[in-house]
Amino acid sequence: MNWIRAFVRDTRHLWTLLFLVVASGAGFLFVRSKMIPESFGQYGPYRATAMTDLAALPSRFQADATCLECHEDVGEERAEAVHITVRCVHCHGLGEEHIVQARKAAESSDVSIDPASDWDGDFMTKIDLYITKDRATCLACHESVVGMPEDFQKIDVAEHLEEMGAGEPEDPETCFECHGGHDTAP
Amino acid sequence: MSEKNDHSNCQCNDSNCAGEVDEVELRRQFLHKISTITMGTMTLALFPATAGDGSDGETAGGADLAGGNPADKESRPVYGFLVDTEKCIGAGKCLTACRVENNVPEGNYRTWVERYIHFKDGTVQVDLVPEEGFAGSNMPKVDPESVDRSYFVPKLCNHCEDAPCNQVCPVPASYKSPEGFELIDTDQCVGCSYCVQACPYGVRFINHDTGAADKCTWCYHRVMRDEQPACVEACPVGARLFGRVDDPESEISKRIAKIPTQVLKEHLGTGPKVRYVGISEEVT
Repeated sequence: MNWIRAFVRDTRHLWTLLFLVVASGAGFLFVRSKMIPESFGQYGPYRATAMTDLAALPSRFQADATCLECHEDVGEERAEAVHITVRCVHCHGLGEEHIVQARKAAESSDVSIDPASDWDGDFMTKIDLYITKDRATCLACHESVVGMPEDFQKIDVAEHLEEMGAGEPEDPETCFECHGGHDTAP
Repeated sequence: MSEKNDHSNCQCNDSNCAGEVDEVELRRQFLHKISTITMGTMTLALFPATAGDGSDGETAGGADLAGGNPADKESRPVYGFLVDTEKCIGAGKCLTACRVENNVPEGNYRTWVERYIHFKDGTVQVDLVPEEGFAGSNMPKVDPESVDRSYFVPKLCNHCEDAPCNQVCPVPASYKSPEGFELIDTDQCVGCSYCVQACPYGVRFINHDTGAADKCTWCYHRVMRDEQPACVEACPVGARLFGRVDDPESEISKRIAKIPTQVLKEHLGTGPKVRYVGISEEVT
């Protein structure tokens, strides 16, 4: 048995080295397995669940269809209008809270939603909805600037008012006084 | 004992070396071998795992874009974006829609609109269209008489086939989804801004709310549930068109087939996927 003792004694430094190599290798693999996200490599060198996270984001910008679920009359009114391509949200805001309230009201008769005639400034802010009737609403698109396509209706307010025979530059104050609301016509 | 060993070793190999030299040589050989073994073990420990990951990825999607899994590739839609500068009126509705949809911080843009004015004297002026439109903005008026040609150019991420932003990302944060969307994993992003500098179109920025790089995703989340991107939905004049370019019956495919379109900075070979109508070569 002497030779075993001698062997162990003479090769002790090798065993230490072997232990260090194995330990560091195992440590490396352990840390690596902890640091690499589970779905990494499923589709390529990235975390596949990142796409799932991204796809789960809510659609905040509401298309007209959401509004027309309840406001069918407005839909009919606008069906033939020139401005059918202008979205509800452009003039009325996102109304996220309004939609939440309306959906609740539709499900249960206990919940009611205040009629439009009750809207005041505070209320509108509260439900994230507004009615914009100032000139900027129209001029956001129609302001006459260099760069617009030839055939797009451009309005120079001062010129337009003069043409129409308005007395004062601030009268009428808004475009809507002449041009209607939802079925806004030229 | 060791001396004896060395000696016997020497005799066995029948070399003509003396004890001293032999020991040095043996030690050298030993060190050489042990370092080889160590490196080899480390490499082997590393390889099976990565090779496993890689092969999984390749069959599932990584190489799929290059023709890996034909069954999947058949069903996988190819998306495209068409911007018609002949229709754009610079109202800025798309900018607001994008900001709202994607929580883009004030001062950053995932999409923006530039106004190109070609003057009669040959000079070109480029402005940034204000988000609220021109009404009420303090943009200096341009004399229409001096203008030869002018148009609005909406800009957004091109979701390049061979995206430079993707290539420079040092962590697995910037990636191309199997549907061909160039996306960012905000959890992995360290905010180093390499990609911001690498993008030749300047569409990336560091979002200081999230601390990660941010850019247009073509509204990946909306498209995945069959909705149009927010900017497309918001445009009142239909200057933006999004759809499947692999389907010849889609509106975008028909338009692209009918009218000449261009891409930005084609010479860079990044394979941009946003096509433009009616721009001149000054637009980059």
